[in-house]
Amino acid sequence: MEVSVIRSSSQAKISKTELGCRDLRFCFGKSNDKNKIFSRKPNSVCFDSQISRFRKAGLRFTLKAVHSDPILESKSPATSKSLDRLRLFVGLPLDAVSDGNSVNHARAIGAGLKALKLLGVEGVELPVWWGVVENEMGKYDWSGYLAVAEMVQKAGLKLHVSLCFHASSQPRIPLPKWVTKIGESQSSIFFADRSGQHYQQCLSLAVDDLAVLDGKTPVQVYQGFCESFKSTFSPFIGSTITGISMGLGPDGELRYPSHHKPAKSGTITGVGEFQCYDTNMLNLLKQYAEANGNPLWGLGGPHDAPTYDQAPNLNSFFKDHGGSWESPYGDFFLSWYSSELVSHGNRLLSLASSIFGDTEVNVYGKVPLMHSWYKTRAHPSELTAGFYNTASRNGYEAVAEMFARNSCKIILPGMDLSDEHQPHDSLSSPESLLAQIRTTCNKHRVEVAGQNLASGAPGGLEQIKKNMLGENPIDLFTYQRMGAHFFSPEHFPSFTEFVRSLSQPELHPDDLPSDEAEATESVQTSSDPNIHLQTA
Amino acid sequence: MAAVTIDSLLQNPTLLFRPKAKVLLKPPRSLDCSRNRKLPLSRGSCLCSFNPRRTIHVVRASSSETALIGNFDISSSDDILYKDIFPVKRIEKVEGKFFIRLDRSKDQHDWQFTVGCSLPGKWILHWGVSYLGDSGSEWDQPPKGMRPPGSIPIKDYAIETPLKKLSEGDIFHEVKIDFNPISEIAAIHFVLKDEETGAWYQHRGMDFKVPLVDYLEDDGNIVGAKRGFGVWSGALQQFSNVLLKSEASHADSQNNSIESKDSKNKNRCLEGFYEEQSIVKEVSVGNLVSVAVRKSPETGKVVVCLETDIPGDVVVHWGVCRDDAKIWKIPAAPYPPETTVFKNKALRTLLQPKATGNRSGALFTLDEEHFGFLFVLKLDDNTWLKFKENDFYVPLLGTSSVPGQYGQSDSTSEEISSKSYTDGIINEIRNLVSGLSSEKSLKTKKKEVQESILQEIEQLAAEAYSIFRSSITTVPDEVVSETETTKPAVKISSGTGTGFEILCQGFNWESHKSRRWYMELKEKASEISSLGFTVIWLPPPTESVSPEGYMPKDLYNLNSRYGTIDELKELVKSLHEVGMKVLGDVVLNHRCAHFKNQNGVWNIFGGRLNWDDRAVVADDPHFQGRGNKSSGDNFHAAPNIDHSQEFVRKDLKEWLGWLREEIGYDGWRLDFVRGFWGGYVKDYLEASGPYFAVGEYWDSLSYTYGEMDHNQDSHRQRIVDWINATNGTAGAFDVTTKGILHSALERCEYWRLSDQKGKPPGVVGWWPSRAVTFIENHDTGSTQGHWRFPGGKEMQGYAYILTHPGTPAVFYDHIFSHHRSEIASLISVRNRNGIHCRSLVKIVKAERDVYAAIIDEKVAMKIGPGYYEPPSGSQRWSLALEGRDYKVWETS
Repeated sequence: MEVSVIRSSSQAKISKTELGCRDLRFCFGKSNDKNKIFSRKPNSVCFDSQISRFRKAGLRFTLKAVHSDPILESKSPATSKSLDRLRLFVGLPLDAVSDGNSVNHARAIGAGLKALKLLGVEGVELPVWWGVVENEMGKYDWSGYLAVAEMVQKAGLKLHVSLCFHASSQPRIPLPKWVTKIGESQSSIFFADRSGQHYQQCLSLAVDDLAVLDGKTPVQVYQGFCESFKSTFSPFIGSTITGISMGLGPDGELRYPSHHKPAKSGTITGVGEFQCYDTNMLNLLKQYAEANGNPLWGLGGPHDAPTYDQAPNLNSFFKDHGGSWESPYGDFFLSWYSSELVSHGNRLLSLASSIFGDTEVNVYGKVPLMHSWYKTRAHPSELTAGFYNTASRNGYEAVAEMFARNSCKIILPGMDLSDEHQPHDSLSSPESLLAQIRTTCNKHRVEVAGQNLASGAPGGLEQIKKNMLGENPIDLFTYQRMGAHFFSPEHFPSFTEFVRSLSQPELHPDDLPSDEAEATESVQTSSDPNIHLQTA
Repeated sequence: MAAVTIDSLLQNPTLLFRPKAKVLLKPPRSLDCSRNRKLPLSRGSCLCSFNPRRTIHVVRASSSETALIGNFDISSSDDILYKDIFPVKRIEKVEGKFFIRLDRSKDQHDWQFTVGCSLPGKWILHWGVSYLGDSGSEWDQPPKGMRPPGSIPIKDYAIETPLKKLSEGDIFHEVKIDFNPISEIAAIHFVLKDEETGAWYQHRGMDFKVPLVDYLEDDGNIVGAKRGFGVWSGALQQFSNVLLKSEASHADSQNNSIESKDSKNKNRCLEGFYEEQSIVKEVSVGNLVSVAVRKSPETGKVVVCLETDIPGDVVVHWGVCRDDAKIWKIPAAPYPPETTVFKNKALRTLLQPKATGNRSGALFTLDEEHFGFLFVLKLDDNTWLKFKENDFYVPLLGTSSVPGQYGQSDSTSEEISSKSYTDGIINEIRNLVSGLSSEKSLKTKKKEVQESILQEIEQLAAEAYSIFRSSITTVPDEVVSETETTKPAVKISSGTGTGFEILCQGFNWESHKSRRWYMELKEKASEISSLGFTVIWLPPPTESVSPEGYMPKDLYNLNSRYGTIDELKELVKSLHEVGMKVLGDVVLNHRCAHFKNQNGVWNIFGGRLNWDDRAVVADDPHFQGRGNKSSGDNFHAAPNIDHSQEFVRKDLKEWLGWLREEIGYDGWRLDFVRGFWGGYVKDYLEASGPYFAVGEYWDSLSYTYGEMDHNQDSHRQRIVDWINATNGTAGAFDVTTKGILHSALERCEYWRLSDQKGKPPGVVGWWPSRAVTFIENHDTGSTQGHWRFPGGKEMQGYAYILTHPGTPAVFYDHIFSHHRSEIASLISVRNRNGIHCRSLVKIVKAERDVYAAIIDEKVAMKIGPGYYEPPSGSQRWSLALEGRDYKVWETS
């Protein structure tokens, strides 16, 4: 292969030396995230060489010279699709900034950032908590997060910000105090299950547009938060900050809190419960039932659904055959329950995209991987979480369509889970569910970014690699999460190995053709800003 | 070279960025713009990128920027395609003087020794004394009364005292040391250290020595003596000459005093003196280089204006490049005046002084097709100025869109250096990569760089880990033990062995005396094995200056006072036959030299590993090493090996491999690992693949007013940090536990055996699987007795370590004593109940006179005179063992 660059005035062949040097860069891609190469097709070599920021355009060469698109460095949605590179992010500790807006273990994070940079990681993910920033309604204190953003920028890394409108129990990061206080007198702002137990880690989606927060609706409050974020972080947005995840519910995910306790690995999780019993949800259900001419169906949720930890066959709702989920009532209820979730997602994502649409950041939303009981016909875990996805109905169509409408991308956690490591008899299948969601997203041209559920899952890294580099590769992955375990001798060496193996070119530089006699193509380019490339 | 830079970073984990800053300050004297391919990482490599966005200095320097740019004839600022100010640092030598004065203090009895220095800086006198009758050249700490206020003891042989200005107006920083001439002190030794730059000022590579007594019979002739630093030499010889002229008057005054007979014979005569010496300090001076690029509307050519405020003749060594690779090319003429072609690779232009100000500059007119303009500045034959070890790079193409994008962040200079630090490494890789592109050794070089980067990453990760780890409440190891108790540890790793190991220390301090220890121990092999030991630690096998083996000389000579190499092999074979693993005691920290260097200092090695003084660390003034600074503490009695040297590591790895192969050792006991970075240990262990390894990280516990602190977290943290640096590939002796047992047992303070979180207070409470617990060894006990376990309480100690997690080690002297049967019973209780290095301890009592714990819910134990009986609940406990002040139960 020989590649020569022709400028408008003179022609200069890249000498063999330079080519050699490019080749070498490929193998050093792991140490330098700016030079990455992936040869997915046996005879094509693509590289994105951005050694200096003055070089605004990366070139893409292929042996067959089918096309050479100018690729702008910017991450605008239009071009990033064609950027044939994989970007790896690592999540910062959940409590990187906590009470009082101080940066926790800043020294450790500093060292960690340097290590990640040297390793060739693209950037880090930073959870930004509502409860940390907005201690008083409408007053925002971003100081801790600004400090982290500066550290990240200094380290030469990118930043993906997750806006968290929920609370965390471990480490404990509550909702803003003033919200909790409102909740004490007005518990209906939270979701409730059949027994009336409230889930207080995030607001119920039924109050999105109700003025329950001192005269403001939650959506208005979220909007204020996002706008303040945007103006405060404007120096970073588009340069250091390349992506923003909009918090959509429990753990930031678009779902109902159908499982109160996080699933323990290695145990079989129950089906969870429908969360439609707070006053506002019940009101919505009632209106919907009346509008559909079945007012009696609007009095409550399904009476024959099992409870949180029970298996699907314990009651009649989720039964594989003849379960009420397949009855007209079941369809009525599930349609309503899932459409409320999609509407909620739509409210928040359209808000986010209207605020951040004029910047260069991508907006993401997280969709959970409710993989338990996937091999049953009813998919109960997905149903209780709000995804009307069964053996006979693709519930992710509506979700993907909603993301597409708002030009948002989907973050899918659980890319580290493999069927093989699921408990025996659990009837769960993370791999099939992942495949289904990704196919649906492809259909709606919604880009998918990956995330793992927990570091240290057995075979997790291999599974992630499979997902990242497989037939249908993803270009952005966020690895969770920096902390003691992450850097421990039990974990970090394997992570290093993992990162190195990701950036290893499939073709060894020695095997890349470098003989000038094999000249087959040249690419023309010119120096003016409207860079123009041709194949000769 | 990048490797060197990185190595220097690796040495000092706590000061990660400081060494780098030092490197940056060094004047780049080795520039060779021909891109010498043999030195791919030399600063001359030209393929480095420079990213002007990172010259955040622009913001800072904006006022001077206007001033500088303003001097050019630039019709309108719109023409400017690019402008930037590069800060440069150059080293200026500042001369000053320092003096040494010896005179009588006011009361005429005591004498005063004064050292002063006129240069600005944070000066520290690093000093020690030698006593009458000392034969070696080693320093000792001066008596307490001699130490001026503010002195800090450094290890056990030196003192650091800061020099102070007596008053603001003084030119000199001074330190005064009062001493009594009647004391036993023979000489004061010192070197000067500048804390600001970390530089040491020595006397021709040695320490300065001021003899306080004339001990002619010792050295014969001080002036002409060949010994290392026991002499005056060079410029200071005259002092000793002066001192040798003994004068009766002084002798009189001393003879009046009461002196020991010994010193009377010394003909002690002191004479005051004052001597000045010139001293040169390198100070970095900041200057600016401003560059502006504009396009000439008439000719369409690009004009680069370069200007600087560096005084004197400045030559720009420059070229252009056609693409990102930044390969130097010579552009077509015309060139500015005073330009010459340098070796067909670059152009040299002398900057012309400007009419206004102390500036000089030049204009370079170039065709517009060039991609970038590269340059470095040459100040004189030896001094080159570069941009952060790289060429200055000025983009010529497509730059119009750039202004406005930089200067967006303001930051402190410290942050800049941390930023430039990662960039620096990346650039160095690029340099290496491009410099090597045509070389055959590409693969190996590539590997080297990868390894050094990976080492760097590992070290950063280890740092992050230790901070995260210490800031969380639950220790990861607990989690590990939780999961691993369900399926007993079967994985063998060098940090733990199988997890069920019990170690026997197979020698004491006297073992070398019989000269046939290997044979004697062979007789006992089956006996030791039958007691339940799985691993035995043999004494250091190499030729050694000291008979016990801890001052190794020729590492490949395994004939020692313990026996011959063949006897050793025979012993190892017998031990293997009875099912035991064998640890070799390897001394990697230091090595005794075979020969002296030209200064008469022992630092040249012989034998198969005939290293020279590059293998010796540079920061121990006693051994004049030419290696890098030590990555740990120095062992004072022998040259400390510089593990940052690749050849040293390669040789040591080979040696360990040879010991494994040739002798059949299964693992290592690593001597004095405080002396070098744990990451190197990891390297050695990975190369030699031991079955088990344990390091001796022994430093002192924390005491307040002579009483041991209850909280020894900082002590165990240091040990854990070391284990962590080895990535858990080695365990470490749990010195903390031993120390706490001392206090607890000796003073009847058993409450000490529980830490604030209710866990064992030693390393075993934090990282049990890597803690090798012990109560005595050849140094602490035996005939040395440096830190002997409280007498009569040994069995309480063993009742503790043999029932608790960690890997217990039993000392030879205790096995072959009246404790033997009790120890054997404890071992069998441990084995019978499957207690292993990660077993869970539940402390049920930690009171004044009794400590009790239940381990894995299978074994209960108590030590101390107080009362304890295990609860009679669901489990039924039966007494397994009872002795003086201890009891052990097991479930039945």
